[in-house]
Amino acid sequence: MYEVFFKKVNEKVNLTSEEEDICKSFLVPKKVRKKQYILQEGDVCKYSAFVEKGALRSYTVDERGHEHIVQFAIEGWWISDMYSFITGEPSVYNIDVLEDAELLLLSNPSQEELLQKVPKFERYQRLLVQGAYIALQRRLVLSLSQSAEEKYTKLTNTYPDIIQRVPQHMIASYLGITPETLSRIRRQISDRK
Amino acid sequence: MPATKTIAIIGATGSMGSAIAKSLSGSSNRVLLFARDIEKLTSLLEEIKEVHPNGDVEIIGCPTDACWEADIIIPAVPFGAENEVAEKIRTVATGKIVISISNPLNDAYNGLVTTPDTSAAEELQKLLPYSKVIKAFNTSFAASFTNPVIDGKIANVFIAGNDEESLETVSELVKISGFNPIIAGGLPVSRTLENMQLLLISLGRKYNYNGLAGWKILHN
Repeated sequence: MYEVFFKKVNEKVNLTSEEEDICKSFLVPKKVRKKQYILQEGDVCKYSAFVEKGALRSYTVDERGHEHIVQFAIEGWWISDMYSFITGEPSVYNIDVLEDAELLLLSNPSQEELLQKVPKFERYQRLLVQGAYIALQRRLVLSLSQSAEEKYTKLTNTYPDIIQRVPQHMIASYLGITPETLSRIRRQISDRK
Repeated sequence: MPATKTIAIIGATGSMGSAIAKSLSGSSNRVLLFARDIEKLTSLLEEIKEVHPNGDVEIIGCPTDACWEADIIIPAVPFGAENEVAEKIRTVATGKIVISISNPLNDAYNGLVTTPDTSAAEELQKLLPYSKVIKAFNTSFAASFTNPVIDGKIANVFIAGNDEESLETVSELVKISGFNPIIAGGLPVSRTLENMQLLLISLGRKYNYNGLAGWKILHN
């Protein structure tokens, strides 16, 4: 239930078994099924979710009803609306389940208490946020300056698992292109091979 | 988390378990049922589906799995069986609301087996130290779930617990089931609530209430 979590945390910091037990006392184990929501627009994001197993996505819906995918999360990743989680303001995102999942949920008050009791967790989080910030900057530059094909190629190289596991129309939504464009790009790439 | 909660009822075929299952299944919540007697459980599900064809209700074959999926856990088993249930669900109940509905009655139903300095709810909290144990529904007879209006008044359900947010969540469930919730205080108030039901049971026997009795605070 906690295997992936401690593997990931211990890649960055080394927890003692006592510290691992403290972590366990704050993490809420939650199984969710495909298509269930763990956050809906308008609700407050009370938990940050670590994915032990399965796949999820966060997305917004625009005025015309189009979905825009912000993030995917598979084993070893965290997913939440950090703004809503920290401020307690209603979220503008939805987070739903793409593949049956096992999550570990951490509420904001629990996180604060955990950081007090296990200071190493603060370092783990800092490293995590640094990595996420860099990834976000790269994604922004990519989306501002690169062609659709470059964006797709970059994604397949960086996260081949996600390409395998997520439906094509969601990949298109994540890249900000139409499903038709994505399918044309995929055809062109495979023709060249 | 979305407003829809997943509720696991462990021991769903008992009189209280099935009464609670039926009364919560008509809501927007998702209800997961577990009991050892799969035949009884299947007929309970059929019964619920007849009344609430669109209700999100499901049988889960293992109490641990049911509670792993749940946000709220209701062990609807006698006090004596709570230890065994707690063993099975402890690892997946961290951070979740666990509703203590039981009364620690002795075999003759004329006294409590707990000492005066504790209660069934507090004992359950000791067994599940990382869960949010909330006392509720222990002063309601199973029969009153069919119609919580007794003598023209909506019966009260008293709620006790130490976590504010969980008390509010359970109040909402009480409203859904048709009763009138009253937050009575911290978890130790369960001692009084469990004694109240002991009194109601003994009065019921003496005056033949047939389970059609409940508590109501009268006030102006």
